[in-house]
Amino acid sequence: MSTGETDHDALREQLPVYAIGALTGAERAVVESHVRGCTACAAELSRFAPVAGALAQIVPLHDPPAALRARVLASAGGRVIAMPARRALTAWAPWLAAAAMLVVAVGAGGYAGRLREQVRQLEAELRDARARVDDGERRVNVALVALADAQKPLAIMTAPDVRQIDLAGQRVAPRAAARTFWSPSRGVVLMAANLPALSPGRTYQLWFVTPAQAKVSIGLVKPDANGRVTTVVSNAANLPDPAALAVTDEPDGGVPQPTGQMYLVGAAH
Amino acid sequence: MWLLAALAAIGDAAAADADRHALGRMVRGDQDALAEVYDRHVRLLYSLALRIVRRPTDAEDVVQEVFSQVWRQAGRYDMSRGTVAGWLVMLTRSRALDRLRRERGEPQTGDIESASRDVVDPGVGVDLQLVDEQQAARVRAALEGLPDQQRVPLELAYYEGLSQSAIAARLETPLGTIKTRMRQALLRLRDALAEQGT
Repeated sequence: MSTGETDHDALREQLPVYAIGALTGAERAVVESHVRGCTACAAELSRFAPVAGALAQIVPLHDPPAALRARVLASAGGRVIAMPARRALTAWAPWLAAAAMLVVAVGAGGYAGRLREQVRQLEAELRDARARVDDGERRVNVALVALADAQKPLAIMTAPDVRQIDLAGQRVAPRAAARTFWSPSRGVVLMAANLPALSPGRTYQLWFVTPAQAKVSIGLVKPDANGRVTTVVSNAANLPDPAALAVTDEPDGGVPQPTGQMYLVGAAH
Repeated sequence: MWLLAALAAIGDAAAADADRHALGRMVRGDQDALAEVYDRHVRLLYSLALRIVRRPTDAEDVVQEVFSQVWRQAGRYDMSRGTVAGWLVMLTRSRALDRLRRERGEPQTGDIESASRDVVDPGVGVDLQLVDEQQAARVRAALEGLPDQQRVPLELAYYEGLSQSAIAARLETPLGTIKTRMRQALLRLRDALAEQGT
């Protein structure tokens, strides 16, 4: 397809929308055909590739349920993981009743043996179902506790002067990440995930780094067994304006100035 | 110096290499490689799917479909193109939008994207490129700072898969105006990415 100057200008206008995958099939085909022969447009297009990525990355982050992992690995990898579901229980029940009547009618001991085996199996499935219910209750309790805890940081996160600073995991912990909310008037909230467990006698410590490179300790950060933590520092008045925030690995109890490796860093802009 | 060194350390080149390596292992049937890629990226993929389809169970289905496809088609992924993470994000968005369209009773392919096309599309295209935390934060701030009349059409396009004409109809705004506003919004986000974050 040949495209003239007018087409070039019109198509160039559509490049950003094309880049984020928001053109219809017909529109897209025209743009693709043009870009293939126009190096200027191809270069322009590449400048929007990170915009398309960023739009995906800025969605609110949520952890998927833990059970999804097994489901994905089973379905994708072709592994068959037995799912002793409630369905199995109800499907068995009428059969079991019929079998029981048969045992009575015929009086055959062989059936009784098989029946006992099936009862054992059903009992096992029942235990499994109960375990799932318990697990569900446990999750609700965890959520309620989390909700109560969430009330505290809320005051800081909704402060009129609040600022958000995101921290990225460093080489020692590439999967770690954190988000902080800093309100000069109300304090600091740090929410981190995927922090690795430290050796005994060590603790994480949060720092403000001023533009003049001074480091001010904000407090200790104590993740749970899953590497998650929400740290609230309410008495944070008179803190200097930070250029960056960092979380380091320090001796238990904390230190006046950082000595250990950095796990999380983020610029305050 | 301390701070500069720290910021320079932010980078996921190592993870990108590990992804490519894992894809190669998947081709050879190594299921641990799939688990590794899952662990590295599922949080972002699930969150993106959830943002689009809204219901957690639907988002789980989307993630499962994506990894199923990755496992089957690992060998067809063109290593010379963008990162594996970018490919996963593109697949997730396509699958999630397909599901959304199915619910709206619209055709799943040919409107904006189709999942199969994303995989084997030999066209010039542009490979979605993931950014670092600071850049993402700047884009988030820029998006939130956009006037509603620019932000809303962009969100409808990216997170709901509506075409520009559909957006124009929904917002009762002329198509030309929608096109201009979406372009302005995207230029603003691109500029936010280019800003220096020290």
